[in-house]
Amino acid sequence: MSSVLFVALPLLFGFATPLLSRLGKDAVAYASVAMQLFLLCLSFYLLESVSLHVEIISIAPPLGISFVLNSVSLLFVTVFIFLTTLFSFYCLSHRETGSYENETKFLILLNMLLASSAGLVLSSDIFNIYVFFEIAGISAYILSAYRKTPSALEAGLKYLLTGAVASVFLVFAIVLIYLNIGSLNLAVIAQSFEALPFNVKLLISILLFIGFGFKVEIFPLNFWVTDVYQGSSSLVNALFSGIVAKAYLFVFFHIVYLFLPDGDFSAFLIYLGAVSMLVAEIAGLKQTNLKRLFAYSSLGQVALIFTAFALQNEDAVQGALFIVIAHSFAKLIIFLVLAFIEKEYESIHIDILKELNAPFLRAVLLIAMLSLLGIPLFAGFVGKLLVLKSLAVSGMLGVLVMIVIASLFEAVYYFKLAGYMFSKGERRGALHVGFIQKSVFALLVILLIVIGVAPFILSGFLGEASRVMLDSANYITVILGG
Amino acid sequence: MFDFFNQSEVIKTIVVLGSMALFFVGLFGLLTRKHIIRIFMSIAIMESSVFLLFIGLSFKSDFIAPIIDKTHKNIAIMNDPIPQAMILTAIVIAMAVLALGVSFAIEYYKLTGRTDIDEMKSLRY
Repeated sequence: MSSVLFVALPLLFGFATPLLSRLGKDAVAYASVAMQLFLLCLSFYLLESVSLHVEIISIAPPLGISFVLNSVSLLFVTVFIFLTTLFSFYCLSHRETGSYENETKFLILLNMLLASSAGLVLSSDIFNIYVFFEIAGISAYILSAYRKTPSALEAGLKYLLTGAVASVFLVFAIVLIYLNIGSLNLAVIAQSFEALPFNVKLLISILLFIGFGFKVEIFPLNFWVTDVYQGSSSLVNALFSGIVAKAYLFVFFHIVYLFLPDGDFSAFLIYLGAVSMLVAEIAGLKQTNLKRLFAYSSLGQVALIFTAFALQNEDAVQGALFIVIAHSFAKLIIFLVLAFIEKEYESIHIDILKELNAPFLRAVLLIAMLSLLGIPLFAGFVGKLLVLKSLAVSGMLGVLVMIVIASLFEAVYYFKLAGYMFSKGERRGALHVGFIQKSVFALLVILLIVIGVAPFILSGFLGEASRVMLDSANYITVILGG
Repeated sequence: MFDFFNQSEVIKTIVVLGSMALFFVGLFGLLTRKHIIRIFMSIAIMESSVFLLFIGLSFKSDFIAPIIDKTHKNIAIMNDPIPQAMILTAIVIAMAVLALGVSFAIEYYKLTGRTDIDEMKSLRY
């Protein structure tokens, strides 16, 4: 029953808001945080207690819909809920200063985003995946255009246009799958996909690749991403970068592992990921708008995760999961700090860092950037090391070199930013960072350092998660009941 | 004279060719038009072509509607209901997305007076 709660409760919250808002102005906000805390406790409880980490909710497997809660989907759901909860705490402390309007709508959209991301990860039915794909899309489009300024609306329009085109291709792929296989269940499709004629397989793969390619922000389908990040508010960017992109990445590779287990496609995906990272990091060098700069950095990191998943071996997938966690935490910190700076200083130009007068924020930002860069003793290091190691082991030295060069470019602009932050010069008046905001940042930073210093806390669980993710045969037997 | 068109192979060919033609009309519009509303219309055309393809290929004219009641209990001669349910859902979602898009476009036009996507370049550098 529990895996349904991850989708149902946030959606129910949306329907309950008219009732909740009668209880008072704050009721909605507190109810939202309480619900997320409950889900967080539930997911931690499941992490501890479900020994096999497999739970299926369904009506007679091949016919009905089913949710599969195994260790890897639980990991993603936990990360999403954890990030959303911290985000909500941050927003709770933000609202005292009255910074964003129409909070109820914002919270409904936030929870819709959480529900659909959890649904994307949990669902084992391709049409359900399409539905959650669209729900996540719609809430993201609205969040992107939320401020209703020209630039926000432009970002929303661009996001929506690419999303709508992506969904046409995804529906097309689903239609072809159903016409050829006669089922929408991922396990059934995975069983018969291999036997399809080559042309049909190729067409379906291309359509799925285009459909998901827009959403997983891979080159050359990622031209819209930086515009969207620049136009949306930094608060929302934290969600896009931390949650939405990760959910789509997981689903894409989940489908790749199930449909093409022997990796016909993977060499193409590996090179595409590496090229994508290189392009993103080079383009990031000359950016002067901080939101746009970190959008490029997100593209680079997502491409690195993409490459690692495409390698289809245990070490690389484990590395990818480490990077997923490290990147989500670091980007949450960075975009929340940017939101704070944008609100206080009303500018997001790179020069504003020179005038930033808040030692705490500077320190936090620096640690997040070091972790993104993959400096030892921070969480990003472990993941990057594992990915580079498995690249070297599988003999893909070309890709390895490309990733190292891309990381060097990344280092150049991070150190440029660090230089800006710690340069001597005139600073503005001191910023006051609230207690809750400070604790949110501190918690994330501590986690980044703890994971970096002692990766073995997580590596057992992530190792199991990566095995589960790669083991398509087991997934199929679990759903179809042997 | 129209018996020729009533064969299922001919119908399927027409459906496939017609919907693919429609798809490419939509794709052409998507790539060449600049007005935001026309782009939305192109996307709608592409979506309809996919829906048509699915319904056209999965519908069998000599089968009956998939409704089980006292007189119709033979499932073997019923059309498959899944494609229709799926496409209904997909139509609703696609309509919702397009409506949202048009509302964004209207708000954007009110603020800036622009409808051409080539002019939407305030988000560069």
